[in-house]
Amino acid sequence: MTVSSAPPAPRNAAYQQLVAQRNAFTLTMTLTFLVLYFLLPVLAGYNKPLMAQKVFGNVTFGYVLAFAEFVMGWVMAYIYVVKARTFDRLAQEARA
Amino acid sequence: MTFLLAAIIVAITLAVTFWASKRNTSAGDFYVAGGRISATQNGIAIAGDYMSAASFLGITGLIALNGYDGFMYSVGWFIAYLTVLFIVAEPLRNLGKYTLADMLVYRLKDPRVRTYAAVSTIVISTFYMIAQVVGAGSLISLLSKGAISADLAIPLVGVLMIIYVVVGGMLATTWVQIIKAMLLMFATIVMTILILSRFGFSFSTLLGQVEAKNGAEFLGAGVKYKNPIDLISLCLALVLGTAGLPHILVRFFTVPTAQDARKSVVWAMVLIGAFYVMTAFMGNAANALLGKDAIVAANAAGNMAAPLLAENLFGGAGTLGGEFGLAFVTAVAFATILAVVAGLTISASTSFTHDIYNGVLKGGQASEKDQFRVARLATVAVGIAAILLGLAAKTQNVAFLVALAFALAASANLPVILFTLFWRRFNATGAMWGIVGGILFTLLLIAISPNIMKIDPDTLTTGRHLIQANAIFPLENPGIISIPAGFLFAYLGTLIGARRHTPEDDRIFEDMQFRAYTGAGVDGTVAAHD
Repeated sequence: MTVSSAPPAPRNAAYQQLVAQRNAFTLTMTLTFLVLYFLLPVLAGYNKPLMAQKVFGNVTFGYVLAFAEFVMGWVMAYIYVVKARTFDRLAQEARA
Repeated sequence: MTFLLAAIIVAITLAVTFWASKRNTSAGDFYVAGGRISATQNGIAIAGDYMSAASFLGITGLIALNGYDGFMYSVGWFIAYLTVLFIVAEPLRNLGKYTLADMLVYRLKDPRVRTYAAVSTIVISTFYMIAQVVGAGSLISLLSKGAISADLAIPLVGVLMIIYVVVGGMLATTWVQIIKAMLLMFATIVMTILILSRFGFSFSTLLGQVEAKNGAEFLGAGVKYKNPIDLISLCLALVLGTAGLPHILVRFFTVPTAQDARKSVVWAMVLIGAFYVMTAFMGNAANALLGKDAIVAANAAGNMAAPLLAENLFGGAGTLGGEFGLAFVTAVAFATILAVVAGLTISASTSFTHDIYNGVLKGGQASEKDQFRVARLATVAVGIAAILLGLAAKTQNVAFLVALAFALAASANLPVILFTLFWRRFNATGAMWGIVGGILFTLLLIAISPNIMKIDPDTLTTGRHLIQANAIFPLENPGIISIPAGFLFAYLGTLIGARRHTPEDDRIFEDMQFRAYTGAGVDGTVAAHD
């Protein structure tokens, strides 16, 4: 495989900003969704009465939490898409 | 009617395949459709690749038989895409051309890494594929009421998938996945609407009937998973494994830019999420309308719950509507298996041809024509291997093979991907240790787990465990141990391989990061290398 051996492009302020912002964002979002997601198996394993607790009619807390995880997934994906516009702009400036 | 509908679907997909074959002129076309798939198409194809028979038939059955615990699979499989979206998709598109190995070698500059990554891809794809092929065999023989035995069904699926891939390459495979994903979504949406109409459009009413039939514990957690650690380990493998699955990773090389890779994950998340939410309705309705006994009578693992539910919803057994419902869902399940197996086959044969044949054996000098020829030969070989392994494994429990593939992907591929992207000191030795250690250690844990070692009652004739003894390792899914171990192997390998860390290494790392973050030099990469 051929790899370009051109000297590295000069790193401008936009690139520094991109790396810092993107790393902070990725780390925060990843930790957040992992913690929120693992609420489900941890509660399912260690707090079965809570999971079986009925919230609306016959709908249990377990189902509400599981459906909430789907909503969380879509919301976090949406937040990322919005935030990615900034990243795309910075990336374009960084390449310039 | 089942055969007629299945034949129509196969005919349509074959027609697409021959159409696509006219557009396959280079190795790049074969591997990744020339990188010209649109983000929307790719998103639907990712969903098509992902919603396998294990999801459609398996989860519906799991929920129908185990209630809430089955639904937790759905949540994990969906949330996994956040890992893919946030961490893997865009840098991978920016750094790779055709395979995972491209991305690793881009930074690590060591041809041995290419070999190891290719072997890892082939091993993981193969385990995933055996599960699908075995599932197809038992499904088709069940649905044809024994008219087509598993011995015939497995080669049938294998041969069809070889035709799709050899003739049509990635373009045809992508379209087969798109057609299948849309059929599956359509079937699921129609069934869900029919279900809701039966229960006054109230999920609560549906759950009320399930509770009346099975008791209160069925709505809560713990029917299937008694040990919390087992459950957490499974969830860990599900949520981290997807980001390392070769047939999902290869899909990011079929779009032109990182932005398209991101958009395709978002599209996939919309479809996959909607689909998995509906599994909660389908599984519970199957339980309420059919009853556990009827589902188990058709197939002990619950795999027939979805087709039987369709029969019931469209009018019941013996009616024309019921026949049609059963036939349609069966045909969709068949298309599902074909599409997923074709996707796995292409990721395995691309890795072999691009990484091992061209990259390692021919030093990157193989001609377009040679690569194309070898890619097709490799597909036939992979297909035949899958058929033979599928026949050999046909009495084994297929769930463990899928769980194994996820655990392998999370333990062997993910640590290496993350370290390559983010760790300055990471080196080739670390990558090789990570991949080999991750695979071997995961296989070892599986081999001594209850998936393989279990004392079965003497009355059991199918699905007997390979080793009739008590398991040494207690967990069904090794993720909670094997994933941290994968990171540890990659870390230790890095320390061992650390010569003097040169300024050149730093320059390469920074170069790679620049490209991973900004996509510099990516535009037109595929075309430039073709």
